[in-house]
Amino acid sequence: MFDKILIANRGEIALRVLRACKELGISTVAVHSTADADAMHVRLADESVCIGPPPSKDSYLNIPALLAACEITGADAVHPGYGFLSENARFAEILADHNLHFIGPKAEHIRLMGDKIEAKKTAKRLGIPVVPGSDGAVSPDDDALAIGKAIGFPVLVKAAAGGGGRGMKVAHSADDLMMALSTASNEAKSAFGDASVYLEKYLQKPRHIEIQILGDGRGGAIHLGERDCSLQRRHQKVWEEGPSPVLAAAARARIGETCAKAMRDMKYLGVGTIEFLYEDGEFYFIEMNTRIQVEHPVTESITDIDLVLEQIRIAAGGDLPAKQEEITIIGHAIECRVNAENPQTFRPSPGKITQFHPPGGLGVRIDSAVYQGYVIPPYYDSLVGKLIVHGKTRAECLMRLRRALDEMVVEGIETTLPLFRALVREADIINGDYHIHWLEQYLAGKPVDGKT
Amino acid sequence: MARQPDNKSADKSAANLQSDDSALIRELALLLDETSLTEIEIERAGLRVRVARNVTMSAAMPAGFQPVPVAGAAAVAAADADLAKHPGVVPSPMVGTAYWAPEPGAKPFIEVGSKVSAGQTLLIIEAMKTMNQIPSPRAGTVTQILVEDGQPVEFGEPLVIIE
Repeated sequence: MFDKILIANRGEIALRVLRACKELGISTVAVHSTADADAMHVRLADESVCIGPPPSKDSYLNIPALLAACEITGADAVHPGYGFLSENARFAEILADHNLHFIGPKAEHIRLMGDKIEAKKTAKRLGIPVVPGSDGAVSPDDDALAIGKAIGFPVLVKAAAGGGGRGMKVAHSADDLMMALSTASNEAKSAFGDASVYLEKYLQKPRHIEIQILGDGRGGAIHLGERDCSLQRRHQKVWEEGPSPVLAAAARARIGETCAKAMRDMKYLGVGTIEFLYEDGEFYFIEMNTRIQVEHPVTESITDIDLVLEQIRIAAGGDLPAKQEEITIIGHAIECRVNAENPQTFRPSPGKITQFHPPGGLGVRIDSAVYQGYVIPPYYDSLVGKLIVHGKTRAECLMRLRRALDEMVVEGIETTLPLFRALVREADIINGDYHIHWLEQYLAGKPVDGKT
Repeated sequence: MARQPDNKSADKSAANLQSDDSALIRELALLLDETSLTEIEIERAGLRVRVARNVTMSAAMPAGFQPVPVAGAAAVAAADADLAKHPGVVPSPMVGTAYWAPEPGAKPFIEVGSKVSAGQTLLIIEAMKTMNQIPSPRAGTVTQILVEDGQPVEFGEPLVIIE
């Protein structure tokens, strides 16, 4: 087991990692920028090292500074959290070169899943269902119409160099296809410098359902069920829940086993999440995230497994926490990401938190690093904290969430709490009747088509 | 080879330095009271402390520098409460291990009282086997050296005072 872990992150996830380290009896080193000197995890860590000025590139992304911090503290392992360097294969390799453990997957797997076209090819090869589409880029010489017809309209024209929802055009029928192709190609050329486009089947009202997996790196892997993360704004998840309101046990077992088997074949090491779009009973692979995710507490609530603790154990050579048949889904959990933003305009609202009262009670968990008097710096993301609520049933969970949201107090800054208080009272949300476009339609004030 | 940490936190702030020195000075003052000595002077790590009975107490810097007398019998701490805010402070631009000399056994780049020009090397900070020369941001006189030879330092840590 590791002696000392350097936590290469900040905010709530740094505190989360610190908690797991302390429970394992591992010494902790908190690295921070000058803007985060008063962070809660810095206060609680055994040692702290200031690694740079506020900008991330000079601090949390500063690989030499992180390595130097490992050197002067004698840390033998680094936990990268999420974001920052957590999916940076080069960082993982550099740490290995310096005889330091990277708490995460093998560098080759990070690299493989980081390239979205390669990831899709790999998923296909491993038997994971993918979004039907063209086999790679569609060039002007190809018979685009034939490819489109084979996929089935409507079809999405996507820029190969795009991503994050940018560079996509819908072709509703064969008549639209040639126009969509040339427009998308021209826009891709000017926006990304690469005119390459490919085609994918366009899913009208899919849900975002992802499967949590754990691999021991030696060919053993299990899945821990799904999370439904369909409520998103600008491709950012806002509300996540598990199990998905629309997935039955049989479907869960099938897709879960498909993912677990793929991870066994890959000899995947550590935690990972395989993300799908789900429509009309079919799963379509979008991408794999080779790190701990923001919404991991949802899975922890319904499986009673500490994912960060297991991540550390597995990285140190330990075994998986359970066999697949021992994993049971218990009750229902919902997580709300509370951001320091105006609940209508979503304008960021950094500043001092003058009053802070986190809700409590049975089945209520707050993963947050803020405290009364804490000043949210303007340099990083706007996450105030995650409110995770568990109940024996989805109905009980919703009532508890309503109660917890009403009880939670964050003053001095604007937060998205009012949005969640409204969502938890919305009929479609209460019925679990939503899809990936639902939230943006709701926010735009359009009549929401909640039928999935 | 990873560096082994000492018992203290790697966060060697000015406050830590101050409490070490004030503890030392307290100890010396007690020693004066217990014995019939009128004066005790010790030197360590670039800092010389002289504690004298019934005369002004001062924290003296090694050869070439004028001691600053402070009225009163109470011991004074050699370091300011908040060195980071001192106008002459040179903060560390990086994380690593600070060394006074270009190599073990060589003469230190500076000592207290040294006159330096802008750009002149004050210290070396080593990180992962690369030696980084730390230049003086201005011309002046070295009034305090705040890090020990071989001390781990963090970004922003006060290294030297140049006035």
